[in-house]
Amino acid sequence: MKILDILNNIDRRIIYLILLTVVVLPLIFPSVEKVRVMPPVRKLYEAIDNIPPEKGLIIDFDYEPQTAPELDPMSFAILRHAFHRRIKLLVLSLYVQPLGLAQNALTQVVEEFNSAAQTSEDSIIYGRDYVFLGWVPPPIIPILGMAESITNVYRVDYYGNQTDTLPLMAQIENYNDIDLLVSISGADPPKWWVAYAQSRFGLRVGAGITAVSASEFYPYLQTGQFSGMLVGMKGAAEYEEMVERKLEVKARRKASEALLSLTYAHLVIIIFIVIGNIGYFIRRRDRRKQ
Amino acid sequence: MKKTFPLILVFVFGILGIIPFFVPHPFIQNSDEFLRNEFLRILAAFALVLGLGSLLRVHIDKIKRKRENWQYSWILIITFVISSVIGLFGGVRGTGILPTTIGTFQFDIWTIYWNVAVPLGSTMFALLAFFMASAAYRAFRVRSTEATLLLAAAFIVMIGVLPLGDRVSPHLPSFAQWIMDVPNVAGQRGILFGVALGVLATALKIILGIERSWLGGGGK
Repeated sequence: MKILDILNNIDRRIIYLILLTVVVLPLIFPSVEKVRVMPPVRKLYEAIDNIPPEKGLIIDFDYEPQTAPELDPMSFAILRHAFHRRIKLLVLSLYVQPLGLAQNALTQVVEEFNSAAQTSEDSIIYGRDYVFLGWVPPPIIPILGMAESITNVYRVDYYGNQTDTLPLMAQIENYNDIDLLVSISGADPPKWWVAYAQSRFGLRVGAGITAVSASEFYPYLQTGQFSGMLVGMKGAAEYEEMVERKLEVKARRKASEALLSLTYAHLVIIIFIVIGNIGYFIRRRDRRKQ
Repeated sequence: MKKTFPLILVFVFGILGIIPFFVPHPFIQNSDEFLRNEFLRILAAFALVLGLGSLLRVHIDKIKRKRENWQYSWILIITFVISSVIGLFGGVRGTGILPTTIGTFQFDIWTIYWNVAVPLGSTMFALLAFFMASAAYRAFRVRSTEATLLLAAAFIVMIGVLPLGDRVSPHLPSFAQWIMDVPNVAGQRGILFGVALGVLATALKIILGIERSWLGGGGK
C-alpha cells in the first residue's frame, strides 16, 4: 500500500527536479548525437541545393525568443548551406520580434564564413550576397506585394539603405526571380505563404517548424505544397548533419548537441506516465476486489 | 447610415479581394496591386494606432474597475509607455535624440530586447516542459481503448523521433514518420476541411451582410 501511495503521489517538485537534471546535464557536457536524415529534411536540403544560380532564396524568420532554441539551429544550418552555395539570399520577417534573432543569426554565420575567407570573392558581403529586408507590417502586404516588386514593398532595408541601390536587388525584382522561400516559424506563417504566395504566384515554399505544431503542417508536405520541412530540434539536427556531411561545413551543431537532453526528457516523461499508470491499475484492481 | 456604410465597405472590399484571384485582366490586376501595396499599407497604419489605443483602453478600464489581476495591467501600461518612448526617441540602437545610456548602463531597444524580452520569452516557454511532465504523470491514464492507442502512438513518436529510436529498432523512426504521414494527416485533413468550409461560410456571410455581429449590438 505504501508503494502504491508513493507511485500515485510523487511530488511535482521531484518531477521538476529530475527533469531539470536530465535536461541541464547534457547541455553542460555536450556531445553531438548522430541522426538518421528523414525524407522531409532531405527534400528541403535538395530543394535549396538545387536552386539555380540566377534565382534566389528567401528566408522568412518568424519565430520569437520562446521557440528560438528549437528554430535557431535550423536558421543557422540553412544560412550556412545558402552561403556555402553562394545562393542569392533575402532575409525578412513578417513580425517585429524575430528581427533581433534574424540579425544575430546573420551576423554569426557571416562572421564564420568571413573569418575563413582569403579574398573578397570568398567573403560574404552585404548587398552583394545577401540583403536583410527587415519588416513591413501587416504580413499580407509583403506576401502579396513582393509578387510585383520587392523593392517597392521594402523601400529601405533593415539597416536603412535604399534597397534599389543594393547590387543584389538589381538581380531580384519579384517572385519570378525567387526559386524557394523557407519560412521558419513557431506559428502559422508557412501556411500564409502557401495560401497567398504559392496559390496565386506559384512560389515554392519550405518550412521549419516547432515539434509541438508539426502535426498540423504534415498535410501541406504530403500534397507537395511544402518542398520540404524541418520539424523541431530533430529536424534541425538532421539538417546540420546534411550540411556537415555533404558540404563539409564545420560549425557548432547546437541542435545535435541538444538531442541528448531531449532524449532524456522524453524518457523521463514516458517513465512518469508509466509509473502513473501502474499506480492507476493497482488501485483499480484493488477497488474491483473490494 | 451608421450600419449601412460599414456593410457596403465590407461588401465592396470583400468582393474586390476575391476577383483578382479569378480575373487576370490588367485593369483588375493593376487595381489590385494598388490596393495591396498602397491602400492596405495606409489602412494598416490606422489599424495599428487603433489596436494600441484599444489595448490601452481595455487595461485602463480594468484598473478603474479593479477587475481580477488588475495590478498586471499597470505593468503592461508602464512597460508600454517606457518602451514606446525609448523606441520612438532613443532609437533601436540608442542613436535617437533621447540619451539611452547612464554611465555603463544601456537601455536602448536592442539592449532591452536581448536582456528582457529574450530571457522572459525563453523562460515562459521553458516552464511548459515542467508542467507537461507533471500533467502527463497525473492525467495521462489508459482508461479506454482510444486512450491506449493515443498513448502507444505518443510513445512511438516520442522515441522514434530521437536518435534513441534508431538504436531500439531501425524500423522505429520510419514507423514514427508513418504515424505522422498517414494517420495524422488523415485526421488533420478532416479538421482542415471542416475549418476551411467554416471560414468560407463565415466570410461569405460577413461579405453579404448576413452576419452582422462584428458591427456590435448583438447582430441586431
